[in-house]
Amino acid sequence: MTNVVSIKELSKRFGRIRALNKVSFDIPSNSIFGLLGPNGAGKTTLFSIIADFLKADAGTVEVLGIDTRYISRLQGRLSILPQDAQFQRNIPILDQLVFFRLLAGRTKKQAREEVLHSLELVGLKSVAKRRVSSLSHGMVKRLGIAQAFLGSPEVILLDEPTAGLDPASARQIRDLVKQLQQHATIVVSSHNLDEVQELCDHVAILDHGNLVLAGSVDEITRADREYNVSLSRPLKESELEKLTSIEGVRSIKKFSTAAASQSKKSTDYLVILNLSADHLDQDAVIAPVLRTLLDMSVTPRKLTEGRSLETQFLEVTGTTPQNR
Amino acid sequence: MNLKTINIAHIHLISLYWSRFAVRSGSGLVYLMIALVFGLSVAHIIIMPVEQFMALQKKQMGQANPQLVKKTITDIGQPIIQFVLGIKSLEQIAKEAALPQFPLPNDTSNTTQSGNNTPGFDPWTNFLLDKKPALLSSIFLILIFGMPFVISFLAFNQISGDVQNHGLRYLLLRTERCNIFFGRFIGTVLFSTVVMAIIVATITFYLGMKTRIYPATDLAVWAVQGFLALAILMVPYISVCSLISASVNSPFLSLILAKVAIAGVLLIAILGSFAWKPAKYLLYALPWGWQNNLLHPATSHWVIAVFASLAYTAFFLTLGYIRFETRDL
Repeated sequence: MTNVVSIKELSKRFGRIRALNKVSFDIPSNSIFGLLGPNGAGKTTLFSIIADFLKADAGTVEVLGIDTRYISRLQGRLSILPQDAQFQRNIPILDQLVFFRLLAGRTKKQAREEVLHSLELVGLKSVAKRRVSSLSHGMVKRLGIAQAFLGSPEVILLDEPTAGLDPASARQIRDLVKQLQQHATIVVSSHNLDEVQELCDHVAILDHGNLVLAGSVDEITRADREYNVSLSRPLKESELEKLTSIEGVRSIKKFSTAAASQSKKSTDYLVILNLSADHLDQDAVIAPVLRTLLDMSVTPRKLTEGRSLETQFLEVTGTTPQNR
Repeated sequence: MNLKTINIAHIHLISLYWSRFAVRSGSGLVYLMIALVFGLSVAHIIIMPVEQFMALQKKQMGQANPQLVKKTITDIGQPIIQFVLGIKSLEQIAKEAALPQFPLPNDTSNTTQSGNNTPGFDPWTNFLLDKKPALLSSIFLILIFGMPFVISFLAFNQISGDVQNHGLRYLLLRTERCNIFFGRFIGTVLFSTVVMAIIVATITFYLGMKTRIYPATDLAVWAVQGFLALAILMVPYISVCSLISASVNSPFLSLILAKVAIAGVLLIAILGSFAWKPAKYLLYALPWGWQNNLLHPATSHWVIAVFASLAYTAFFLTLGYIRFETRDL
């Protein structure tokens, strides 16, 4: 698998604040790459340097083998959904996007067709002639995504693509990103760890401008022979001891998601089973665990292999993305 | 500097898009309104007394006396022209206005410098008052003085607003920074030129149709020259605004700085020259020192003024481009 984005020793400061500190990693081609980190970790700064909006203090970024300091060579091949960027408020969205395609050398007719297709993908075709000022926040977000999908970019950077969208629109965007993976490499920054785990095959986690973890989602979440079991209710200490006594179970820890303390949803109660490396047949351990849970009138709602991305994120950053 | 990536097609597209939609943005609309109100008000103030005089004559004598109309126009135009050209101070003009309206034997300030000019005027004033339609000359001189203050309402937000709201980021992967910078500059110049054309055409048309003082050809030729002078003059002032707009993130700050820079140079030069004569040369930091030459009778002066305008433009645009190319956006 070749790398389409290669980041080497990238550093950037804003006055006394160190936004990025010698960050290096690669993004493989045709992957959906997740960029994770708490607020202020440096995700948007990294996106902005890749797109040459910001100039790095040190280090290099290559996209498709081209140094991004010569960003004009990437015109049409790299696109971005920037965070918090605004469109011209009083100009119809069709005119704004057609203008972008005219810059790419399309005729007016071609540009119009491409724009309408792109707007259709994000469900905005019916409002193509409206001005941006008349669109809702979610619609403007989808408009931003539509402009990022214009043409046939080989690398697409999406900074918080589903933030502020209703669940149905977010699902639509996630499905669209999955479809586009066949033609492009997509880099997504998000606070939504479930979304990243669902969408992405590779991730990098930034914290305080430092890269703390990078790799494939499989590698990261399959560590240490662990299983996550979502439960219908929290376990008592005595019940935990009973489970730990099952042969092959090395340890069990209770784990609550960030929302667990406020929410009483069953899926927020988790136990993480750490299995002994001596037991090669993991099914022989899992089955009695599930049986014991049912005997205790606790219904297992979901069983997933390996660590969740959230667990891993907590471990390397010491917090959840929302809490920072 | 990365001028190798200049793309003429992109600059063409960006400038057309920018000028086409300028009126839909707040600054374009505000500029259009202020420029029209200013231009037409100046014309109204200059033309109205002549119209009233002609109407009075027609009422009293059946038709206007061309000699008396010309004298009225001269009375109105001469102080304006001589003040704006810097030939006479306000004090001198006020003194003359208070004197009886016939030439004094010992008055040397009004002595003609050219044998075939109207007696009492220097060649430049004579050219503007006598050789060219004087009402139009007076209007052009006031517009040349006043429009630099107005142009910043259009040009202050070429870059800064889109830097502040990050809107430029949608463009930056689609074209080079140099194309955006020069495209928007040219778009602003185009819009300004169209507005100048509208103002000059309206005034000329009104003057030609309503007063019928001047032959249509003379009026048209002088209108074209006046329009050219105004259009050319706006270019360096727009480039000053380009530099400021590319340097700061806030459009409001950009507007204030543009106003301070354009008016400040003039004020400091004028007020400073009372205390220290050489301070008047500060006028040459911007086109203030050259701009009236765009209506000079000698072609060489006109050419120098045009080149000076282009030189100022090149200087400010270069500074602005360097800043825009190297900054974080």
